[in-house]
Order: sequence, then structure tokens, then C-alpha cells
Amino acid sequence: MAKLDDIIIEDTPGKRVLLMGNQAIARGAIEAGLGLAAAYPGTPSSEIMETLATASPKLGFHTEWSTNEKVAFEVAAGGAIAGVRSLTSMKNAGLNWVMDMFMTLVYGGVRGGYVIVVADDPDAHYSSNEQDTRFAAAYAAIPCLEPANAQEAKEMCKYAFDLSERLELPVFIRSVTRISHASGDVELGKIEKRENKPVFDKHWKMGWRWNVYGPPGAVEKHRWLHEQQAKIKQEMENIPWNKLELKPKQTLGIIASGIGASYAKDALKKLGVEEKVAFLKLGTPTPVPEKIVGKMLKSMKKILIVEEGEPIIEMQVNAIAKNVAPEVKILGKQTGALPAIGEINIDIAAQGIAKLTGKTLLPDEAREKTRTGVKKLISPRSSTLCAGCPHLGSYWALKQALRKVGGKVPIVNGDIGCYEQGGYGLSGKEYKPSFATESVRYPIEAPYETLDTNYIMGGGIGLMQGQYHAKYNDGPLVAVAGDSTFFHACIPAVINAVYNKSKGLFLVMDNFITAMTGHQPDPCTGKTVTGEDTKVLNIEDVAKACGVEFIKTVDPFDLKATQQAIEEALKSDKFAVVITSRVCTLQAQRMKQYAAKRMVFNKDVCTGCRLCVALGCPAITFDTKTKKAGIDPILCVGCGICADVCPFGAIKVET
Amino acid sequence: MTELNLIIAGVGGQGSILASHIVAMAAIDEGLLARVGETFGAAMRGGAVASHVRIGNEVQSPLVPKDGADIVLALEPLEGLRNIVNFLKKDGVLITNIHPWLPVDVNIGRAEYPSMEAIKNAVQSLGGRVVEVDATAVAQEAGNIRTVNSVMLGALAATGELPFSMDALKQAIRDNVPPKTIDANIRAFELGFATMKK
Ligand SMILES: Cc1ncc(C[n+]2csc(CCOP(=O)(O)OP(=O)(O)O)c2C)c(N)n1
Repeated sequence: MAKLDDIIIEDTPGKRVLLMGNQAIARGAIEAGLGLAAAYPGTPSSEIMETLATASPKLGFHTEWSTNEKVAFEVAAGGAIAGVRSLTSMKNAGLNWVMDMFMTLVYGGVRGGYVIVVADDPDAHYSSNEQDTRFAAAYAAIPCLEPANAQEAKEMCKYAFDLSERLELPVFIRSVTRISHASGDVELGKIEKRENKPVFDKHWKMGWRWNVYGPPGAVEKHRWLHEQQAKIKQEMENIPWNKLELKPKQTLGIIASGIGASYAKDALKKLGVEEKVAFLKLGTPTPVPEKIVGKMLKSMKKILIVEEGEPIIEMQVNAIAKNVAPEVKILGKQTGALPAIGEINIDIAAQGIAKLTGKTLLPDEAREKTRTGVKKLISPRSSTLCAGCPHLGSYWALKQALRKVGGKVPIVNGDIGCYEQGGYGLSGKEYKPSFATESVRYPIEAPYETLDTNYIMGGGIGLMQGQYHAKYNDGPLVAVAGDSTFFHACIPAVINAVYNKSKGLFLVMDNFITAMTGHQPDPCTGKTVTGEDTKVLNIEDVAKACGVEFIKTVDPFDLKATQQAIEEALKSDKFAVVITSRVCTLQAQRMKQYAAKRMVFNKDVCTGCRLCVALGCPAITFDTKTKKAGIDPILCVGCGICADVCPFGAIKVET
Repeated sequence: MTELNLIIAGVGGQGSILASHIVAMAAIDEGLLARVGETFGAAMRGGAVASHVRIGNEVQSPLVPKDGADIVLALEPLEGLRNIVNFLKKDGVLITNIHPWLPVDVNIGRAEYPSMEAIKNAVQSLGGRVVEVDATAVAQEAGNIRTVNSVMLGALAATGELPFSMDALKQAIRDNVPPKTIDANIRAFELGFATMKK
């Protein structure tokens, strides 16, 4: 099998290859003759754009990492309005940023095919929540496709462009972690050569088609969207991935969609009841094909719905059943046959099927007991910041400065990025709920206990302003963010802080890249998604332009200077921005721009005070028997900051 | 064939995901279906990584069911243990590198690393069998410490459980490792294979 970059643009229909779901989606778009794609990184969706970007210079279409999902969505919508096949991709949370345009674009729809790919994350492996974005597709009244494997991911993406053009509406593809970040065999199809000629006609088939305010106005355009629904319903009945396998005399059945259908198929086989159970595999969870569902329900006594996320199919099937087969018993997430939270898998699907067929699957008690015993042996492998990560320096300096400046209970508002690990807590340590009525200060043993609040990208800087205006007075107020997050979500909030006279410290940890999601370039990297040189935006300049008066940029490896800058900021009576600026260590190593120092550890001098352990660097070791710290020579990257942390001179940089 | 369920476990940076893709590609090249599901955050260096590989004529979903793995291939012993506990079949086999990569929790004295003896007993208590490979030493012998994953693939191939040819597997290694390391990886693979046959 050749290299992925080559496979992705190879026009060899029929060839079978291994593709990750995200690569398959990208390949589907390429086969459909994509003209433009814009996205913002977010796990588990980023590889869609990364794959497209390897192909775009060769095939001549545009790709970009936009500053955030909303901008990406609009860039791609602009392409589609101009008749060019366009795609945007994002993670679940990204869709929350685009809702305004998303809900409004559909009033006039599109001219060129527009495919919106959203990768949900049931089980919140990489996300702040488990939200099921299929509801959003239903909310916007556009069809949602949901692939069951990598092959379908490719096919559906290709098909979605045609469907979008037939309906003149965007089409939504809902992926999940187990599709996007799983790989499977894919048979390649033909790459369609499209001219993607941009055209513009402002009254195309409808007056003021691309201007909701233009006559006949938004309400009439809403009417048009409703009229399209009949067409959508018709399409859903004929879509190749809505397939009913129903044999005479079967009275038990499963309706399953996307990855849920794959789990259900595997589970049926595992239980050996494939012949007994009718199977409706859905590729469109919303809207479901009413006629096919109705046809199945009429011969059923009991069915089980297997879907990943919220019970959105279950709700629709219940509504259909009311009319066509009210006697059918419908099992699913609403009835507790399947868990309402987390993700499913073969075993969970099997439990549901057992309930459908009236069997009970009993656990092997003895084995479970042995298992519990074995689990006690397994040490956790906690997630940490990398050895030599600049964020370690920022957190160390912040902790020292907060201690120095005083104030009873500081609030450190977190944000999303590698530095969010500043709120992951310490493994094995129990955090008990407290019911205090006064502010409480908790010790910070490691940087991983620093962040007091954390929700979503850009959230921290806003929360801090609310705390200030609520007159919180028990300690200093801080918010942190990274560079990609700064450009994505923080600029309006910075302007707001200046405009509405908030105070507090905004600590921007600038590592010049979107590290957490896999080192994608951002506006301060100097590179575009295809690696082309571009302008470097400087965060200090942006903050200045937003009216911030207290700004300091420091090197987080210089712990003293960083601590001092933070102390001054905390004491200042202004809204203050401190930028800790240093390239992500992994990135610097990769670019061969990293100068490692040689560290020497003198065990005789070490007092076992554990201060260096509190730095949180994974290369620092501690021997509980000898009560001495140390440095793991394999993990250490020689950044040297631990030498500045040790008050006894046990750690030195070799000169 | 019926089905092969395999888990390749290790620590971020050891190449367990690449190894799982190599196995899947070899299977596809010989006409089988393959599914690979990665679990846990793979991006982070030093994090726990496990990649599920399912090969057969009818496999659908990418995750190995509970107690469903025929083989757990561990590039790191603790990660082997972490995966066998839920996934190894009653008569399954754990093939493990014996060289630990200590987690930070152990490094700073908040947790203890299980002994190889304890790991072996644990696997046996669940009905499985353990095969130890000094893959780190073999990789050094092959001339590149970063070929631990190829050594382990060699050990895996030596079990005779893979439903496709050695040639397909070697070709998949050649196609997927960095070009400059092809020779070292093939050497590592062959040494890993030979270690098991000794
Ligand atoms: C709305 C939204 N989009 C995307 C993401 C995915 N994501 C997680 S962290 C992050 C940005 C990380 O970059 P940066 O702020 O520069 O911090 P770093 O990881 O480099 O320290 C992104 C895009 C998200 N969580 N939410």
C-alpha cells in the first residue's frame, strides 16, 4: 500500500486501502470534485482538513485553517453560494460556534454542494461534553447522514455533495470518535473532475436568494425551507444506506444507525441470533425514512433502537409507531435498555439485544472478582504536560506570584488547550465535595491543580470579568488561554474587559501553535495549512489594538522574569495581559530549533523537599525509599527550568 | 477464516498505532476486511495508547469486545496488563516487551509499578498465557532503539496466528516506516521473529 498522500489523490477506482474515517471523508470530498474547504482543528475531526491540505496544492482547490469554526463555516458557505463544492469540518463543540449562520444560511440554501462534517465525541474522550449534534441538523431542518464505517464515510461524503445540490441545502454528516479515529478497509472510487466555476446570481430561483432581509423576507424564506422538507423526506426513502432486512415471521427487530449499526451487527453475530432479528440499518438518523420504518414496525412486536448519542431516532420511531403500529414495544435509551450516557460498544449492544430477545446475560462472578484483584495492580499513567513544556514555566511562575501577592482565595479561570491539564487534578487523590459558605483556598501540589474553572474555548476570560463585576474580593482574579484560543475566542472578551473596565490578569501562554490538537498552525505561526509562509500576527500588538494598557511579554523559561511580570500585573489596578512566549518544545524539536541543555542532578545535595516534583515535569522522579528526587535521562529534554526551581542547588545545568 | 481480534498496547511515541495499521494493511492487501480502533489520547507523548485491530470476513465495528482479544501485543508491560484485564480471551496470549516505561505516577512515588512476576500471575489468573520478549534489547541489536514495534510485530508473526502472509506484513512495514529506517525495521522484525522461534 502506497503512502497516504499519494493514495488520497490516486485515481484508481476499485483499489482497496486502509483509511482512517477522517481520511475517508476527505477522500470522498476529493472524489466529489471538492472546490474549497475551511476548518478549525478539533479532535476527533482535524485529520479531515489535514488530509485535504496534502491534496489541495496538487489538485488546485483551496484549503485553510480558519481562525475559528464560525469563520470556517462562513468561508465554506461563501464558496457554496458562489456555486463551488465546499466543505467545512469541526468537532462537536465547533458547531456551537456556528449556530447563528447555520440556522440562517438554510433559509436560502446553497448553489454548489455544501457538506458540513461534525465529529461528535460520545464518552467525551477529547471534549468538554458529549453533545449529540444530530439535533442541530434537525433544528436547522437539513438532512443528516451518519456513516457506519470508513467505507460509508467516504461514500456518504461524496453522495452528500450531489444530495446538497439536488436539495439546494447544506447536508450534514455526523461522525463520531469511533468513525473519525478508527480505520477500515475502503474501496476507492473515481475522482470526479469538476470545473467548480464560480457564478453569482443574486436572484437565483428566488428573489434576494442570498440575503435573508431582501424581499420576500425571512418568513417567506422559512416557508421555502419548509417546502424543501417534502423533498428531503422523499430522498431519505431512497438513500442507499437506509436498508431493511426483514424476513417473514420475524417479530423482533433492531433499528440502528451509524457506528451503532456496526456494534449491533457484531453483537447479533456474537449472540448467534442474526436469523431471529429483523434489521433496519439507517444512514439518515434525521429525518428517518418514515415509510421504511413504518413498513418494518407493522410486522414487529418488539424492537430495539441502537444509536450513539441521544435517543433521537428513538423519539422519531416512537412518533411513527403511534400512527402505524401503536402495539409495538420500543426499547432504547429512553427505556433504559441501553445506557443514556457514554458510548456504546459490542458488549453494551449485546446487553440491549438480550433484553430484546428475552435472554439474560449473566456475568461470570468468579472472573469479575479476579478482574477486580488484577485491576489493583495497574498503576495509572497520568496525563501530564510534556517534559520541557513552556506551560510548566508559566504555571510555576503563576503559582509563586499568587503566593507572593497574597489574597486569600485567588480564582484561576482555565481554558482549552494543552494547558487545560492545569485542572486535571492528581491521579489517585480524592477531591471531596465541600459545602463551605465562605471562599475556600485549597493547596496546589502540582500545576495540575491550578485551574479552578474550565468549560470551553474562550470561556475563562469572560468568567473572570463576571467575578470582578460581581465584586469578588477574596483574592486575585486570573484567566489563562493559549495562542490559538486567543485568536479563536478571546478577542471580543479582551475588548469587553477594556470597554467595561474589568480588572484581573489575562495570562496568554503563547507557544505559537495549536499544540493540543496535533500542532496545527494558527495566526501566530507564520504558516498556512499547506505550509505556505504567511504573516505572523503578534498577540501583544493585538492586545494593544484592543486598548489594553498593561501588557508584558516574557519567556516562560525565565521563571524570575515571568513571576515578576505576573506579580506586577496582579498588583496593577488595570486589566493586565501577560504573554508567556516560547515555541512548543515538541514543535521546536521537530523543527530542529531546540537547544537542549545537559542537566546534572546531585543526590547528595537533594533534601527531598519535592519542590521540583511540584513543578509537574514528567522527567522529574522521586524515590520514596531514599527520599531523593532525580531526573529521568530518557524523558528529560534539557530545558533547564528545574535548576531554577531547586532552592538547594541539587539540579544544575552543565556548562 | 473466522476472526482475529488483536490489541496493540504501548506508550505514546512507541509506534503502537503504526504497528496496528501495518497489520491491518497487510490483511487488506490479502483480501480481508480490517478495522482498527485507537483508544485514549494518542497524541500525547508518554500517554497510554491502545489500538484495537479486528480482522476477518465479516467484522464491522472497530473495538474488540470484553474478553475478546486473541492476542494482546504489548510494547510496554504495564500497558499490556492494563489491556489484558478487560480484553484478553480466556485462552488468549499476552506477548509483551519486558522493558518498562515508568509512568509519572510511579516516577514521583504516587504509585507502584507491578513486577513482571505479578503481571504473569495476573494473566494466568485470567486464563491466559504470557510470552516475554526483550524487545528493547532486540531493537538495539537491530541498530535502532525505535524499532521496538517492528520487533514485536516479528514476535507476533511467529505465533502463526496471523491470517495473512509474512510477505504482506513485511511489505506493509516497508511501506509505512520512515524510508531511512526500512532496513533497521525489517531487521528488527526478523530478529523479533527469530527470538520467538528459539
Ligand atoms: C470550539 C472548539 N473548537 C476546537 C476545540 C479543540 N481544541 C482543543 S484545545 C484547542 C486549542 C489549543 O491551542 P492553544 O490555545 O494554542 O493551546 P496549546 O494547546 O497550544 O497549549 C483546540 C482547537 C475545542 N475544544 N473547542
